Amino acid sequence: MARARNRIAGVISVFGELLITAGVIMGLFVVYSLWWTNVLADREADKQGDEVRDHWASAAPGALDTRDGIGFLHVPAMKNGEVLVKKGTDPKTLNNGVAGYYTAPVKSALPSARQGNFSLAAHRDGHGAKFHNIHKLKNGDSIVFETKDTWYVYKVYKTLPETSKYNVDVLQPVPKESGKTKPGRYVTLTTCTPVYTSDYRYVVWGELERTEKVDNARTPPAELR
Amino acid sequence: MYGWIWRHLPGNAWVRALISLVLALAVVYVLFQYVFPWAEPLLPFNDVTVDGQ
Repeated sequence: MARARNRIAGVISVFGELLITAGVIMGLFVVYSLWWTNVLADREADKQGDEVRDHWASAAPGALDTRDGIGFLHVPAMKNGEVLVKKGTDPKTLNNGVAGYYTAPVKSALPSARQGNFSLAAHRDGHGAKFHNIHKLKNGDSIVFETKDTWYVYKVYKTLPETSKYNVDVLQPVPKESGKTKPGRYVTLTTCTPVYTSDYRYVVWGELERTEKVDNARTPPAELR
Repeated sequence: MYGWIWRHLPGNAWVRALISLVLALAVVYVLFQYVFPWAEPLLPFNDVTVDGQ
């Protein structure tokens, strides 16, 4: 009798320990997702960003080089400094703490194109969380994109706080959903929402206001000063 | 389970505590380095793109 009770107690205590262990592992996963991936991604993004800047400094002026990254996104309202932009939106690219421009399902235009939609994606949480503060963007806020020889200054004109992840129309060259009907030079930012999950997508559209040539000192445009 | 591990560690209580700590850190390392990076794409927390799938 006593022995049987001991055995039951033993089984229950092992079961309890397993539950505690599972809880601790889930807690560690949260730490990993929201902190450790940021540490790794920021480190990697800094390194890649430095490489791009070094490359710009050493190479001859002119041609756009898409290999290491095409430039840096500055969004003052998001208060996150500069974000390196690279080609593609696959997780492997985005996990390095950069923003990627879409190659599929709707191919992004480059900012230098005469018309089209420069569409970008980046993480909301973890892996650098470069678009974490996307909800702070309001109409009229600036989105500045810096390439080797040009500053592209966009102004936000429309935000879509929640849409389906299947809604690829937001990336169209003329994003009708934002109210535009004519071709122009647009920028589209996409990330997941609500924070810490990815049930929906958050979309912000901007339109090019002007461009500025980069001078020798790389003086930033007024929006960034 | 943990009691069983504790009883099978060598040395006195201090040595056992030290070994336990090292084991725990090793587990955390394996989780952060291998298990979580593998598990993350399988969980629906961090998809940021719109796509047709």
